[in-house]
Amino acid sequence: MRFVLRRLGFFLVTLWAAITANFVIPRLMPGNPALAMMSRYRGHINPQALHALEIAFGVKTHQSLLSAYFTYLGNVFRGHLGISLTFFPDPVLHDVLQALPWTLALIGSTTILAFVLGTLIGLVGAWRRGGILDSVLPPIFVITSAFPYFWLAMLSIWLFSLKLGWLPQSGGYDIIDTPAWSWHFIHDAVVHSILPALTILVTSIGGWILTMRNNAISVLTEDYVRMARAKGLSPWRVMWTYAGRNAILPNLTGFAMSLGFVVSGAILVEFVFNYPGVGWMFLQSVENQDYALMQGLFLIIVLAVLTAILAADAATALLDPRTRDVR
Amino acid sequence: MSASSIGATDQLATPPIGPKPLVAEVGGGRLGDIWRAISRNRKAVAGLLLLLVFVVVSIFPGQIAPDDPTAQTYPPALGPSWHHLLGTTSLRQDIFSQLIFGTRLSLVIALAVGAIATVLAVLIGVSAAYLGGIADGILSLVTDVILVLPIFPLIIVITAYRKNSGLFMLIIVLGVLGWSYGARQLRSQALSLRTREFLESARVRGERRLYVILFEILPTMTSLIVATFLGSALYAVLAAAGLQFIGLGDPNSQSWGTMLYWAQSNEALFAGMPWWALAPGICLALLGAAFALLNYAFDEISSPALRVRKLERSRIPGRLPSPADTTPAVAPDRSVLKVEGLSVAYATDAGPVVAVDNVDLDVGRGEFLAIVGESGCGKSTLLYAIARLLGAPLPGEIIGGRVLFQGQDLVLLEERELRRVRWRDLSVVMQSAMNALNPVLTVAEQMRDACRAHSKMSKAEIEERSREVLRLVSIDPVHLHSYPHQLSGGMRQRAMIAMALLFTPDLVIMDEPTSALDVVAQRSLMVQIKELQERLGFAVIFVTHDMSLVSHFSDRLLVMYAGQVAELSSTRELFDRPRHPYSQGLLEAFPSIRGPKVRLLGIPGSPPDLAHPPAGCRFAPRCAHVQPRCTEGEVPLSTVNGSVVRCVLAEEGH
Ligand code: SF4
Repeated sequence: MRFVLRRLGFFLVTLWAAITANFVIPRLMPGNPALAMMSRYRGHINPQALHALEIAFGVKTHQSLLSAYFTYLGNVFRGHLGISLTFFPDPVLHDVLQALPWTLALIGSTTILAFVLGTLIGLVGAWRRGGILDSVLPPIFVITSAFPYFWLAMLSIWLFSLKLGWLPQSGGYDIIDTPAWSWHFIHDAVVHSILPALTILVTSIGGWILTMRNNAISVLTEDYVRMARAKGLSPWRVMWTYAGRNAILPNLTGFAMSLGFVVSGAILVEFVFNYPGVGWMFLQSVENQDYALMQGLFLIIVLAVLTAILAADAATALLDPRTRDVR
Repeated sequence: MSASSIGATDQLATPPIGPKPLVAEVGGGRLGDIWRAISRNRKAVAGLLLLLVFVVVSIFPGQIAPDDPTAQTYPPALGPSWHHLLGTTSLRQDIFSQLIFGTRLSLVIALAVGAIATVLAVLIGVSAAYLGGIADGILSLVTDVILVLPIFPLIIVITAYRKNSGLFMLIIVLGVLGWSYGARQLRSQALSLRTREFLESARVRGERRLYVILFEILPTMTSLIVATFLGSALYAVLAAAGLQFIGLGDPNSQSWGTMLYWAQSNEALFAGMPWWALAPGICLALLGAAFALLNYAFDEISSPALRVRKLERSRIPGRLPSPADTTPAVAPDRSVLKVEGLSVAYATDAGPVVAVDNVDLDVGRGEFLAIVGESGCGKSTLLYAIARLLGAPLPGEIIGGRVLFQGQDLVLLEERELRRVRWRDLSVVMQSAMNALNPVLTVAEQMRDACRAHSKMSKAEIEERSREVLRLVSIDPVHLHSYPHQLSGGMRQRAMIAMALLFTPDLVIMDEPTSALDVVAQRSLMVQIKELQERLGFAVIFVTHDMSLVSHFSDRLLVMYAGQVAELSSTRELFDRPRHPYSQGLLEAFPSIRGPKVRLLGIPGSPPDLAHPPAGCRFAPRCAHVQPRCTEGEVPLSTVNGSVVRCVLAEEGH
């Protein structure tokens, strides 16, 4: 428990760093770029909201930097992220929450699937040293994991939707549909998510396979695995509870570190597929110079990644008694 | 067998045979070695060649590309033809020429970002490790924060405020944000290096810290530094292409990412210009693959465990008769184990090495046989060959001989048949319980799975039996449900012995089970093992490098040297009248100092390289009594007064 609490503290620090980056970056830019954005708000929103935006982006406030900073922190923690220009006059928080479920469903589930599948394949590959999973696949995955996500996304649209006509080429659902919890809509959404999901799966699974394989190979040289063999346990038990359970621990740490990489790719995949999630909206806001929305989305991405990492940490604590007893 | 040497090349290092030396030297190795390893690794060669092609293209784009990439003078949207290899864009440019000219920018970004990130990673990682204390705390915190922050969205946020801000800015931002993973790894490696002996000695010599870091530490971390460079270069290629693709790069620059941006915004794939979108992506993937392959190859090179080596039996000189053509497998009643002509070889890059050479031994019921020798003499390999437990980390294959146990030859048994013998009749105790007990299972769980594998005991019976064996080794059964890390070192060791006694086997094989303990604990554990042995009647094979440890406990002693039996006789006899000069040397070494780190004072020199064993007596180079006939041919074992000795002087009662 203490382990998880300590990690929680660390994530608060990271979150604070992200919020502070949001505050500092526009102020560091020569000729405040947010100025142009602000003029587009003027006269359209109430003075109080305008003032909050001025504080957020450092546009002609008479407050000192420090007090502006604290006002900004307070606003962020109360969920006051400003008003979106792209979807005027929606509050940023509203838009963010609208995009989030799409991304969680698509990227969340594919990432978990890729991690689980990759871990299994990596373990079996290491277990059968010299087999197909061990000798042929790793070099292939080395190469596929170097593919740019967005390019693979373009390619799969071209192949599966344009040439073969199997799957829809973009969007999260048909435009004639309206989002609802109906069977028809869910089916539609699933069909739309297959191509982007496959794209993310193909590019991200290689990394998990390779790290798990390497971990498992080094765990297989451990004395406790030899001891398990000496005890005459079934190969199945040796592979799972001795080799697998120990090899997955560093892979969970690896999960934390690679997650940022996966999320970066996923943002671009959403962009290529016009998938109505956080990544697509994020790039929309960049394009429209809608900095308030952009900042809000950046924070939610950070928050999502940190939550996933915390979940990985909790899993580590569950699987590894040593982390539970730390100090 | 003939012991003629195999090759002409001389290797200085002894091959790793003992339990420890095989641990991979992660990141070790100097530049020369690394270069040799690269040229032998196919993935590395492929990656290097690929990279080389891109480098050449990026230096001479004008000579290779047929057209000016910026000229907008061709018919739009042409398909591939001789004139335009990949067709033209709807903006009337030649795609192939654009591709060639785009190489330079992608490569420059990759190399520059790689360089910046690597320098930062080294600076921050190594200084964190060397400064220690608060500085380390702060640097590590910053590293970890940047590590888990999603960097790509952050870069987008930064560049969003300054669109088209140019190449320089892009490189700086990517480089400044891309160092954290490398820094973290370099820090932990530098920390582990800090305690290494050669650095200690450098410090003792009074060399300056900076000097030590630059000339002693950094070279040993070469492969990790290279890996950091390759990793961040790969990351830079993909990230920069991504940024250019979404329009955050300079739209007028010549790069693959920019090509993709224009291709996407002109719907190239839908408008019949597939190569506009395909070709730059393929190039990006190839450049990425070049870095990824090199990175992967480096991983393999720096941790040898990742490579599979095949034992080439045909290259083993003068092999022995195969097990099939000797007498039928029937063990005499009074012995539990009979080993005949057992040989083990393992594969190295330089070819096969015979680590255990034609060893015969037998163990009687309830007997305590000790096997003694320096590390690397093959004693552990012999032990695990008997138990049929070879394989990483003790690589090796049995290449001849028999292991007769309970009337069957273990060498010939399938793994499934072996499982029936394991633990019930033959159990193993290892050197360090810390490593031999599964860290994520409680002692109880580890006892339970052994019981489940070999009996139909109920849960309650298993619990009862587990408590019973713990009491046998005087551990309070309250510790049964503890995890290994919660027990003290001595207790862990005892728990492992308890586990080996679950089924009261006929034979317990022990690999230096006391060497992890201090001298006092060692003694008391030995006494306890001996007591249990006498009470329960199991036989023991006990491997140790410390002759003094077993002097009061073993019935017989087997002295091994360079993979062969040097002498085998009763403990009494061997201590009173050692016949082999090597045994004499071991005896002279021991009475003065005790403890695990005894230098063998009596014997100058070091054991031979088993890849090229000396002709004739293997001990000859170190022997004080060496004579011409010692090196003429193989020295056979001879029996003198019940002792078996491999020395030409044996019969003269030396
Ligand atoms: S055979 Fe010769 S060299 Fe070998 S131990 Fe005996 S005396 Fe020494």
